Amino acid sequence: MSITYTHRHVLEDHITGFEARPNVNHLSVIRRPAMAVVLAHGGAESDVDLALDMIEGVSKRVCGPAEWLAVAQDRTPESLLRALTSIPGASVLDGSDGHVLMRIDGPHARKVLAKCVAVDLHPDVFPIDMSAPMLIAHVAGNLARTGENSFEIIVPRSFAGTVFEEMKEMGRDVALTAGFG
Amino acid sequence: MASLITCPHCGSRPKEEFSIRGDALPQRPAAHAPDEAWHAYVYLRDNVKGVIFEHWHHVGGCRRYLVVERDNVSHDVLSVTDAARFRRAAASGQDGVVAAGKDLA
Ligand SMILES: [Zn+2]
Repeated sequence: MSITYTHRHVLEDHITGFEARPNVNHLSVIRRPAMAVVLAHGGAESDVDLALDMIEGVSKRVCGPAEWLAVAQDRTPESLLRALTSIPGASVLDGSDGHVLMRIDGPHARKVLAKCVAVDLHPDVFPIDMSAPMLIAHVAGNLARTGENSFEIIVPRSFAGTVFEEMKEMGRDVALTAGFG
Repeated sequence: MASLITCPHCGSRPKEEFSIRGDALPQRPAAHAPDEAWHAYVYLRDNVKGVIFEHWHHVGGCRRYLVVERDNVSHDVLSVTDAARFRRAAASGQDGVVAAGKDLA
């Protein structure tokens, strides 16, 4: 007997029905990103940090001293892991199924996020390419600025539903739409 | 209560991101120390009015233990140091205190 595994996103039940076309303010849930936790061994912190910047198609997210999340949207978890385990002095754990990646875009993205995080997101203190671990809708996650009006959110899978619903609620006044994308 | 803590790893953060774990100054006795020493280490605290050193766990951020030096009368935060760094500095006999914001590397 053969078994067929079906991939089902944890937010599948939260995104149902006929959603209108995305508005200018839109929350996208990335369906199958590859994500891995990277830890540097003592003494190798700055080497691993630099090596993570060199891998094509992989974004680095800061999680704390000597700890990062590596995110790739166009790679399989296997390919991401292969690239990361070749870095000397790094320990790597696959976290693709343990985390959920969302992206919020639009002129009011920052306004919506201001109601979800207690960190100053002014471009002078939180510029493009910066990332930091923080509470997002009371859930410990990671926020990154990917553009002037674009942010990426990573939260643990089991809390993703709460964060997703909370973000949608906070975006109601700017007509935030949401969907896979 | 001090409501903004400058984490040496994450920057300025609200106190809601932290869990306060108590006095940072008691020294852990040796494993075979007398019961009195262990009792004092586990239960006895000074309840200082003024400057105190506490362990703050940055659970909502970098998940590091920090040592926060603050004044519980004026609510001023005087310094925030990573606990590992604080302990190393204390062990080498230096002042384990790094001024808040000075050490944002
Ligand atoms: Zn921190």
